[in-house]
Formats: sequence, structure tokens, C-alpha cells
Amino acid sequence: MLSRIRRWLGISADDDLAQEIDQHLEMLAEERRGLGATSEEAQAYARRKLGNRASIREAVYEMRPLAYAGTWAMHARIAARTFLRSKAAHGSVIAILSAGIGMSVAMFSLVDAVLLRPLPFPGQNSIALIWKTDPPAGTQVEELAYPELRDIEENVSDFQYVALLPTSLYGYSRVLQNGKSEPVQIESAPVSHDFFRVLGVHPALGRDFTASDERIGADPVVIVSDAVWREQLAADPRIIGHVVRLNGQGYTVIGVMAPGVEFPRGAGLWFPLGVDRAIVERRGATFLQAIARVKPGGSAERAAAEVESVFRRQAADHPEAYPKSQRAVITPLVEYWTGSARLHLWIMLGASVLLLLGSIVSAGNLLLSRALQRRHEIATRLALGAGYRQILEQLGAEGVCIAIASAGAGLAIAQAAIRTLVRFAPADIPRLSQSALDFEAFAWAAGIVAASVIACALIPGWAALRIEVESALREGGARLSSSRREGRMRHTFVATHAALTMVLLAVAALLVLSYRAMISDDIGFANRDALSMNLQLHGPGLLSGRAYTVPYRRSFYTELLDRLRRQPGVVSAAAVLVRPLEGTIGWDVSYEFPFEVNNGRRVLPKANYEVVTPDYFRTAGTPLLEGRDFSEHDTETSEPVAIISESLAKLIRQAGYTPLGYRIRLGLTRDRWSRIIGICGNARYRSITQSGSDIFVSYLQAAQPTNYVLIRGKQPAGDLANLVRRTLLSMDASQTIAGIATIGELIDANSARHRFDMILLLWFGACATLLGAGGAYSAIRELTADRQREIAIKIALGAGRGRLTRELVSGTLGFVLLGECAGAAGAWGITRLAAELFYGVAPRNPLVAGAVAAFVFLLSMTAAAWPAWRAASDEFRGALRR
Amino acid sequence: MAGQSKEVEILQGTLKMMILQALHQGPANGYEIAKYIERRSDELLQVEHGSLYPALRRLEAGGLIKAEWRTSLTNRRARYYALTRTGRREAAEEHSRWKLLVRAITRVMRPA
Repeated sequence: MLSRIRRWLGISADDDLAQEIDQHLEMLAEERRGLGATSEEAQAYARRKLGNRASIREAVYEMRPLAYAGTWAMHARIAARTFLRSKAAHGSVIAILSAGIGMSVAMFSLVDAVLLRPLPFPGQNSIALIWKTDPPAGTQVEELAYPELRDIEENVSDFQYVALLPTSLYGYSRVLQNGKSEPVQIESAPVSHDFFRVLGVHPALGRDFTASDERIGADPVVIVSDAVWREQLAADPRIIGHVVRLNGQGYTVIGVMAPGVEFPRGAGLWFPLGVDRAIVERRGATFLQAIARVKPGGSAERAAAEVESVFRRQAADHPEAYPKSQRAVITPLVEYWTGSARLHLWIMLGASVLLLLGSIVSAGNLLLSRALQRRHEIATRLALGAGYRQILEQLGAEGVCIAIASAGAGLAIAQAAIRTLVRFAPADIPRLSQSALDFEAFAWAAGIVAASVIACALIPGWAALRIEVESALREGGARLSSSRREGRMRHTFVATHAALTMVLLAVAALLVLSYRAMISDDIGFANRDALSMNLQLHGPGLLSGRAYTVPYRRSFYTELLDRLRRQPGVVSAAAVLVRPLEGTIGWDVSYEFPFEVNNGRRVLPKANYEVVTPDYFRTAGTPLLEGRDFSEHDTETSEPVAIISESLAKLIRQAGYTPLGYRIRLGLTRDRWSRIIGICGNARYRSITQSGSDIFVSYLQAAQPTNYVLIRGKQPAGDLANLVRRTLLSMDASQTIAGIATIGELIDANSARHRFDMILLLWFGACATLLGAGGAYSAIRELTADRQREIAIKIALGAGRGRLTRELVSGTLGFVLLGECAGAAGAWGITRLAAELFYGVAPRNPLVAGAVAAFVFLLSMTAAAWPAWRAASDEFRGALRR
Repeated sequence: MAGQSKEVEILQGTLKMMILQALHQGPANGYEIAKYIERRSDELLQVEHGSLYPALRRLEAGGLIKAEWRTSLTNRRARYYALTRTGRREAAEEHSRWKLLVRAITRVMRPA
């Protein structure tokens, strides 16, 4: 068996055959000796009778099933020897290629995990989300109210199922008490009963919601996610029909959702939405969006048109509730799911593909250089009787070896890169953590590399086939007729590289400038160490905050903050409606000043609305520029007061009034004017790149709850959080805190995506730069090697070193310039497509483009001048004699 | 090769058939097969012994014969070839095909 395998592989068959033939010769000789011949005669006869031994071997060899394996093994051996002779050159080729393969495969794997792999929802492309927009009023997203579910269901015939869910999970979290461990806060989604039917998923255990679960006064039921079931409910299969306590209220568990279903993102619990009269009947309670599935055979376009006409009819039927300018926004689920991560990932994938291309170009360039040096060797081999086929096979084998080595190293790099990227990537990219090496992508990248490497390896073979063997030998391989064509090829490489480097570096430079602008901007929160956390009161009922009366909530937070402030080490503590940079959520409120009343404007501008306790500004580090902070004396019975941001104060000043002591009226409190008692610095509540206007109201004068606590202290963040937890526990054991983060962490998280983009592109840019410089260097080195004799003659005739260097590099640098022009055009196109990636810097910045171009040019010049300068030295005069 | 008038060059494609025929008599080594062909043809067919080996390897790869190292009658280690079951069938087929061919060619070649 072993011998069969060995024979199959063509390893030992040679020995077998040799032995067999030896025996045969011996038998022939013996036969002759038996007839009385001398030993020499007998052996001569035997050899004659047998025929040419070598050609027998060859004939046997050629027909053996895997004869090629043997040939290739030989080629591989020679290739290995060739590599060892020029470790540096081949090592760098392999390093370059494996980096290209690794990075592009890693990026593709991420893109695949996030964007391309189907969601866990069957027929995902027939699912879409629906909300409204009202551009004339300045609202990008106008939410729906519960009664609109019927409007859509009854009028859009192409939908199979329609359901409602809130636009944001903010405020719906539930505290789960399982009686064993500490209560935990779980993101939850109130949804209408067809929600899972829209998604096309079914509970793994128990049953789905039915219409009877979603009635006013229906028994509270809940479906839990697979993760919650496993982590919080001990994966108990008998949980169905049992009651769990959510916000202190009993909910019957009717189902455990199939694994992987986590929609809206982060949701761990779902319960019926239409169980509260205040929601079901009011067209003014707009906080929802719809999700719908198009019927099999239905038309998404027709459905979209029908939704549009439903919304148009609403404005006619209920003019008090809907403006005429409202329009439908229909977003496919897949797009909604990935959101803005799409653009980022595509850009990164593009960059990594550029890097792969760049690495192939560089490797090709290097291989070509190596190969041209071997023309002499090839010519010698041809002269010694090697077949063209063998020469090409040999060169091909070298290409294959390089391709295999770089694919192997590339695989390792890709795997390491995926792990690193997943760890350091911003947390808000869905499904990123599920990224795994994409073998199809790897096969593609490795295939492309293999094809190009083998092609590059074969080029000198083709060239050699055209040249006269003798002339190559005679000329010592110095300068051949084909070198002009090869020179052109090298210059194309150089130009391509300059273009790639230009694109990558230009985008990277813009990202760096954006990032610098981002972090150096004053975003209005100086106390990075202030610890913030969600501490909303969870009571029974759908809108759990409503379980508590406004006076109860106020006194609760007053008491809590008082207790916290009394703790040793605590510097200040405050509470706020929505903390800074909490995703994109927040309250918008329309406002007007007395001088604006009756100016005929129908749509009022909006500003960010915050309800705060005294000491909030001091805790967050937002400066109070004028006036005073709120105090415990600003109560319901005293004069309504407000603090506005500097941007609003400016509006008042422009109108010719003094902001402090002026009045403002909010859309929430139509007929009540508030006195402006303070002006604070501008702060960025929604995103660190988005400046807006803010209006602050005292918690003792507002109906909205202060859901987040901010605290500063001398102790570490963990101790502060425990302090809050203990204090809370001593007041109400059914409440809990969640989302603990310092303001600094919130700021970092907000810029994480940009930082990630920037670091990756910088890395790609650095790789491309190195490759480009290497390309220019080797192009010139080859050029000088080719023109050694000519250079030597020029030196002998007294040409200056500087002039000679200039003459040598000028052609190549011309190609660098050409490539840079192409690269600038490419960068221009990309920045146009991806303008939203940049901040505080003009995307088409001639200064940046110029600087990058100059940098690439200088680098190429240095890389090119070095070998040229050396070649133009006197040492090379010796070349003349050789 | 075909210099001597008494010798006949082996017809293309017939070597395989003759090897199978030789092995039909029982296992044999390369030398014995060559000798068998020469002897049976009354020395008319002169085999270049070496040319047997590519043919033997091809038959072996095709599964028509199998080989093993054995000690010969003259107490010498040699590689012995034997027909496999398929080889035996193939030998019979080749034989009848050959007879048909010879008959046909004889007819063509007979004087008109």
C-alpha cells in the first residue's frame, strides 16, 4: 500500500525501475555469458539489446499518472533554491502580497458579515420600514401614531402584514426581577401583534402574539429573546405560561423567540403595544414607525405609492393632526439595519481592494526586475538544451511557490486582522462581531494574486523565447531589444502606484484633519470624568414612567440627589432628561421669542430640550456664561424660568434685545412664557459633530422625567457607580441603573467610528506609500542596471553626477506625476461620494491634495534618486571594462 | 532497427497484445516476456527490450497486469508480472480482435 502511494506520487518509482532494468541487463548478460562470451562482450550485448536506458526512463516517466508531480517537485526544489539565493527580493514580494491578501480578505469578511449576509428574516427584501418626513417643517423624521396602523392596513392591499414599533427603544426598558439575582434592566420593544409575522420569524418555544393579546385591558404577556431566556431565565423550557416580574408587574411568558432575532437592535423583550387607551386612540401620540411585509406576488412600488396616498389623505381627513407637507419615507429593512455603517464599510473595502491592487502591482514590478536579471541565466539554460516548455514551467513553478507562500501568510494575516478589527471597531456596527474569515473572498484574492504572480513570473520566459540565445550570451544580458517594452511596463506600475497612494493618502489625510477638528472642537462638556447612567423609574404599565406621578418623581430625584451629595467624596450630582451623546435620541421642542410672534411664520424652529436639576451645568462642565443656575426655589408655583444656549442668545441679541431676562415660549407649553435666567455655552448633545441650540428647564417646572443621573466624585468611576447603586437600593429595591459611562467615554464612543476609519485608512495609506516608494526605487535600479554601459561611458566622458541622476530619474518621475493626476481625480470622486465622512474640512481640499501630491512626489523622487545617484558614481566606471 | 532483412519491426500497438499473450501463459519478468516474443516469432521479431517497460507500466497503470518482486528460477530477484482478471478478459478480446484484423488485412492484401 505504501509503495503504491509512493509510486502514485512518483517518488520511488525511479528506484524500482532502475533495479528492474539492472536485473534485466544482468539476465541478458548472463544469457550471453552462457554462450561463451567474455564479460565485456556480454555487457555490451545486454546494453545494445536493452536500448537507451535514459529514454526508457523518460518514456516511463512521461506516461505515469502523476509524472508532473515529480517534475513540479523538481521545479519547486529549484524555485526554493532560487528564493534562498535572493531572500530579500522574494521575501519582500511575499510580504507585500500577503499583506494585500490579508487586509482585503479581512475587510471583505467584515463587509460580508455586516452587509451581505442575509438577516435572520426570511424574504428580507420584501420587508420595509415606514415613517414620514416633513421637510418644510424642518423635521427629517415624523413619527406615526397607533391609529395609523389601521389607515395603512385598510388601504394598502399589497402588504401581507403591517406592524408598529417605536422609533427608538429609549424609555421602554424593563427591569426584570427573577428573585434570585439583582434586578437587571433589559431593552424592550412594545410592538403590535403582527410584528413577528412581518419579520417572518416564529417563537422557538410557545406561541406568537395574537390580536387578543393586544386589547385594552388584556392580560400582560411577553415574548423573551433567546439570549434573555438563556442568561436571565436559566434556559428553562417550562417557562412558557409562567409569570415574570417586569417593572414590578406580572407578565405571562408566552414565547421564547428563535435565536438570533434581535430586532429592533438590542431588544430582549417584546410585549403588545395596543393595550393602553392613551396610545390606541390618539392620533397625537406619535412615537411609532411601521414595518410591513409585501405580499408574495405583490409589488413594493405599488405599495409605496399606496402608502404615500394614505398619508396624503390623512392630511385631508384629519387636518388638525397632519400637515399637508408630510411625505412617506420607506426604507428597506436591510438598509435600515446597517444604517450608516454601509458607507464606512464600502469605503474601507474599496481602500483594501486598492491596497490589494497596489500590492500586486508592486510584487509584479519586483518579480519583473528579478526576472529581467535572469535573462542571462535563461539564455544559458536554453543554450545548454533546456526546452522552452521546461523553462516556462520552471518560471511558472516559482510563481506558484510565491503565490502559495503569500496565500498562506495572507490567510494568517486575514485571521489576525479580523480579530483585531472586531475588537477595536466601534460597537454600533451591527453583526460585526459575527465576522469570520470568508473563504470565498480568500479564494478570490488568492486566485487573483496567483494569476498575476504567475503571469509576472512567466514574462521573462516569453521575452527569452523571442531573443536570440547567442546574442544574449554575447551581450552578457546587459541590454536587450525587449528592454524598452519592459521599461514601459515598469513605468506603468510606477504610475499606477502613484495613483493608488494618492487616493489612499488623500482620503486618510482628510480623515485625520476631520478627526483633529472633531476632538479639538469645544463640544461643551468639560468634565470628561463625570459619570453618567440611566436611572429612569420603572413602574408597571406600557409607558412605565407614567406609573409615577410627577410630584413623586420630583421628590424621588430630589431625595436621591440629596443623599448622593451627602456621600463623602462626591463633588456634585445632578439629573437630566437625556444625557449628552446618547445616540441620536433626544427631545426636540419648538420655541419662539416675543419679537417673533405674529411675524407670520407658520413653522416654528426647534431646539434640543433638556430637563435638568440644579447643579447640572457644574457637573457636566458646561459653562454658565451669564445669569444663574436653577435652584430648588424655581418651582411650579414660582415664575417659569429657562436657561438657553449661547446660540439662541445670539438670535435675541441680533433682534436687538438683551437675552438675560428676556422671554421664550416653548411648543410644549403653548401659552406660558418663561423668563430666561441664564445663558450657557453651546454644547453638542446629539453628536460631537453637530452643533445645535439647547433649551433647559428646571425639573420642578417640567412634566418630563430626569432619566439620567450625572455624578462627579473623588473616587474611581466603579466606586461612584456602586455608590449610586447602593443609594438607589436603599430607596427602592425594584429600581436599577444601566448604561454607565463617563462623559469622556460617551465622547470617545461618538467619535469611535471616525477614529476607526482614520486609523485603517492611515494604515492602508502607509502600506501604499511604502509600496510606491519601493516601486520607484526598483524601477530606477533596473533602469540603471540596464544602462550600466551607457552610464559608464557618459561618466567617462565627464558627465556630472547630478545631471546624470536627473536624466535617469526624470522619466520615472514623469510617470509618478501622471499617476498622481489620475489619483487626484480618483480622490476627488471618492470624497464627493463620501462627503459625510468628513468634518470641519472641505472634502475637495486643494491644499490637502497638493500636500499629499508633493509628499508622494518627494518620496518617489528620493526613492528613485538613491539608486540613480549611486549608479552615477565613479565606481561604475568599472562597468565599461567588464 | 529494421536494417536487417530477416527482422521485422513490431507493428505499432501490437506490443501490448503480445505482452498480454505472453502473460497468459503465466507470470513472467521483463526479460522472460521479451524472450517469449522473440522465441515464439522464431526470432523474426526483435524486441528492443527496454521498450517493454513503458508498455508494462502503462498496462500496470491500466489495471490489466499486476507486479511483484519475486525470486526467479535462477535465484535472482526480479519483478514478475501477472494478468489481473480484467487483463485476462482484455487478452481474450485482443486475441479475437487481432484474428479479425488479420483476416481482413489478408483479404485486402491478396492479389486481385
